[in-house]
Amino acid sequence: DSHIQYERVGADVTMKCGSMDWDAAVTWTANGTDIDESHLNGSYLILKNVDLSQSGQYSCYEGSSWHLKYQTSLRVGTPPKEPVLMCRSNNYPKGFYCSWHLPTPTYIPNTFNISVIHGTKDMVCEKDAVLKNRCHIRYLQLFSTVKYKVTLTVTNALGKNFTTLTFDEFAIVKPDPPESVVAKPVPNNPRRLEVSWQNPSSWPDPESFPLKFFLRYRPLILDQWQHVELSDGTSHTITDAYAGKEYIIQVAAKDNDIGTWSDWSVAVHATPWTEEPKHLTTEAQITETTSASTSSFMAPPTTKICDKGAVVGSGAVAVCWTAGLVVAAYSVLFI
Amino acid sequence: MAAADSPSTALRRRDLCSRGIRLAGKMRADVVDLLDTYVEQQGLDASAGGAAVEGVPLAAVERWDEQTGGGRLLENLAAYRAFRALLAQMLEEQREQLGEADAGLGRALAAVLLQVSAFAYHLEELLRLESRGIPGEEGDGPPPPPRLSRGGQKLRGLGVLRELAQWAVRGGGDLRQLAKAGTATGTATGGGGSP
Repeated sequence: DSHIQYERVGADVTMKCGSMDWDAAVTWTANGTDIDESHLNGSYLILKNVDLSQSGQYSCYEGSSWHLKYQTSLRVGTPPKEPVLMCRSNNYPKGFYCSWHLPTPTYIPNTFNISVIHGTKDMVCEKDAVLKNRCHIRYLQLFSTVKYKVTLTVTNALGKNFTTLTFDEFAIVKPDPPESVVAKPVPNNPRRLEVSWQNPSSWPDPESFPLKFFLRYRPLILDQWQHVELSDGTSHTITDAYAGKEYIIQVAAKDNDIGTWSDWSVAVHATPWTEEPKHLTTEAQITETTSASTSSFMAPPTTKICDKGAVVGSGAVAVCWTAGLVVAAYSVLFI
Repeated sequence: MAAADSPSTALRRRDLCSRGIRLAGKMRADVVDLLDTYVEQQGLDASAGGAAVEGVPLAAVERWDEQTGGGRLLENLAAYRAFRALLAQMLEEQREQLGEADAGLGRALAAVLLQVSAFAYHLEELLRLESRGIPGEEGDGPPPPPRLSRGGQKLRGLGVLRELAQWAVRGGGDLRQLAKAGTATGTATGGGGSP
């Protein structure tokens, strides 16, 4: 007969060789390898202070005939610790899901049992099609002040544990992050970036339960975020971007009235529009160039007020008042 | 069935819905803030109460998405009229217990009462727009709730504010459903009361 035997880490384990007498001559193997006689007490196998590495197939053979007398699969593990349970509604008002995990592995099989009670009513938690540590509950009632109580029990051969969550319908509402975030430069506007996004596809009824959004952005070279909260719409134009600097942008969503903010969306990067680099000219000369020419100084792109036509080939000084801005732009470069 | 929508009717409905939706959102935010203040100033435990309070309309509803437009308006109107009376009573009770600490609470209650009244008005206007009879108020409501002990008053007040916070979300959602549908009556037959 083959058995499965579960033992706690650190336990002392005694294995009897089936119906063999204590003084019978036997040989024990672990995963096919003979076990030294020092571990035997008569025909009994003694394993002291077992650890995980001692899990395996143990077999006992009669000494002379080498008949298999007993076999067991030893699984060393631990009883479950209190499980971690989370419940969330990312598809309000349809329902919510709960998912769970153990804080530390037990190394032996566990079974999870979840109960969901709303007031006095038991609710069904349907298993997720893919994730085995998740289940879904459909709301039977909306706008209720009666709390939900979710109890998760985890059991294995060495023990059991449980945890309970109690919450309001609104408290667990948390949309998924906005999707399809796109950031684009605005032609001829070196300080603007156009950002657009979409409602998370999991949010089933944005007309009845509209989302508001929080946008954050910063140049890559700086640590501090700028924030904008938007009560409607799925686009925004940033108008104070540093010219020529690459930006990182993210968006989060929240129901207008209830619940909490989503996680941040995937980050997108964009750089505001910049004019083609032009050579700075000096008072000494202005050279009309029809091909690329070298210069010891390249003006950074920035908004110019002066007429481009007045600069090229005029033979006169063409210093735009934006020189100050140029200096400021360089200052940013060195932050 | 509602009369065929004239452009002005549709515009008026849209206007009433959007203003009502904004009002519901503001009301929700103010009631949530008021709840925190109320719990603190009344010395209540945030987990106190929880059982349904007599006379307080429950926002909980099954098959909310299947409700007709007319049904939504009528249920909301009945609820907000009840809240109007309940908040007025709370205000009166507050004034009887007036202390410095409660003056701000009294003002906040009065502000919410105004919002509730305004929302009820929007609902009545929407019902009028749909040529539906507006249920009468006088003498139709339940008898005033019994005089309670101070502790009972506090718990009832907590129940009122909690349910009102739920109704504010439901009311906003209902008006958005109405705005989405473009008509306030759906397939409901019969009026909510005599004209």
